[in-house]
Amino acid sequence: MSMLLYKAWIETRVRFFTGLVAAAIVCIFYMEQHAWLVGMWTAELQNPHGYHMKWMPLGIHEYGWYLWHYLYDNYLQQVWALFAILFAFGGLIRERNGGTVLFSLGLPVSRRRWLFTRLAVALLESIGLSLFAVLVIVIGSAAIHQTYSLSQMLLHTALMVAAGVFMIACGNLCYTLFPGNYLGLILTLVLLGAPYLWLQTYMQHMRYLGRTPWFGHLDFAHAMAGPWQISWTTAPWMALLVAWTLTAFLLVATVAHGDRLDY
Amino acid sequence: MATVIETIELTKNYGKHQAVRSVNLSVQAGSVCAFLGQNGAGKSSTIKMLLGMIHPTSGIGSILGYRIDKERESLLIRQKVAFVAEDKRLYDYMSVGQIIHFTKSFFPKWNHALEARLLEQFELPPERKIRQLSKGMRTKLALLLGFARGCELLILDEPTEGLDPVAIEDVLQIVVSLAAQGTTIFFSSHQIAEVEQVADHVLMIDRGKLVLDAPMDRVKEQYRHIQAVFPEPVEERDFRLPGIEKVSVAGRTVSFVASHNVDSIVEHVRMLHAGSIDVLPISLKEIFLEKVRARS
Repeated sequence: MSMLLYKAWIETRVRFFTGLVAAAIVCIFYMEQHAWLVGMWTAELQNPHGYHMKWMPLGIHEYGWYLWHYLYDNYLQQVWALFAILFAFGGLIRERNGGTVLFSLGLPVSRRRWLFTRLAVALLESIGLSLFAVLVIVIGSAAIHQTYSLSQMLLHTALMVAAGVFMIACGNLCYTLFPGNYLGLILTLVLLGAPYLWLQTYMQHMRYLGRTPWFGHLDFAHAMAGPWQISWTTAPWMALLVAWTLTAFLLVATVAHGDRLDY
Repeated sequence: MATVIETIELTKNYGKHQAVRSVNLSVQAGSVCAFLGQNGAGKSSTIKMLLGMIHPTSGIGSILGYRIDKERESLLIRQKVAFVAEDKRLYDYMSVGQIIHFTKSFFPKWNHALEARLLEQFELPPERKIRQLSKGMRTKLALLLGFARGCELLILDEPTEGLDPVAIEDVLQIVVSLAAQGTTIFFSSHQIAEVEQVADHVLMIDRGKLVLDAPMDRVKEQYRHIQAVFPEPVEERDFRLPGIEKVSVAGRTVSFVASHNVDSIVEHVRMLHAGSIDVLPISLKEIFLEKVRARS
């Protein structure tokens, strides 16, 4: 087992380290922009003809909300989702295109074990990426002398990963279904990324207007972000249940399809 | 002798194309069995079905008593069988040492002495990345990874493709020595000379159909090329006898390839007043070509 994990790790470690850099850039950028953005919102609110939004006072006075809004409800989450899909990219289908699948399948390892080892590494790397972002936030916030609740950051991290497993499972099924090497990756990113980003943007606007269309239940980005202050009662349990149920279905479909494939 | 590989009516279709057609084969323990066929004849598809890499359309098969179509049993097969694929591509991001370490972790009976000997014999540098190896070196590495597994059965798909003559000779010697130690060898090839050199049983497949399944000794003993010259022109239908695989009539001269029953065939030819009769030995290559041409 450890050698399979090792193989999956060396196949994805470049992606993982790239993900760390991307997450660090996003976190550092928005922490660095905090003072400037707060100053701009304050000036806007003081100006009777300025741009007034309901969330601005919260953004000015609550650093925790600021972090949640820019990182966990938007850009860090998007970076995390992109890399979670990229971590899951690979496996026997990619090996078929690379010509090494017969060597892999000649080993006494079941197809399911190949699949789940790969998914386990993708999940561990996704958790590692999200925890690294917390570390960057801890260091960066200390550098800009801002305080926040570390437990809330960890809860947001946990929620992002818990709901985001759907992304990993969905990405993996897409790679299994689509032939081709990088074509499969591009198709997967388009098929998952386009509705994810569109729904995220659209539903954020709808929530601001106080409306909830029926397809709001498909807004996985909101499930990954949760409310800005998470507690036992405010955690999006229903959204998590839906995400986990769909993840289970996707995994069953991936296993069933993978078992039937001819290499 | 125990049967190591057995298939019954094994068939594989890719859409409308029949790659393997109702193949019945049986390989005995301790034998060196060659699986001959042209490119695209169905050799690789048969091997892939045996190892669970593709699913049979119909028919059944077993290796070492385990069913090839059951995932759980297929896993047991791969614990006891070493396989070297035709396309000997390996993980090119690993070094020679890393892939050896990776592979040996799955095989408790890994032959460390053979690994060390082959590393030296094949001049494989353990630190070098696989992507930096030549095709011949990659083939040697793939063979090392197969040979050193310490398995009961070794399945090789075109093992010597891409090797120079010296390396081919080395590989064939290793195959012979592993067979002498009791390992059953099943290898596909279209290099007939090397098959004749090491195999004790030969299977021939043509367009998915098994056309020959016999011990090498019997093939060499019983297959004969018979040439007869008659005083008058004769017709092909005069030579429909058991054992005649192929008849070529050119005026008064008739050529046969006989698989058995040679004495009776010669007697029959004499009765037809042949002027001269020559019975000649026939090489495996000629048998192969005759089998393939006969079906064309």
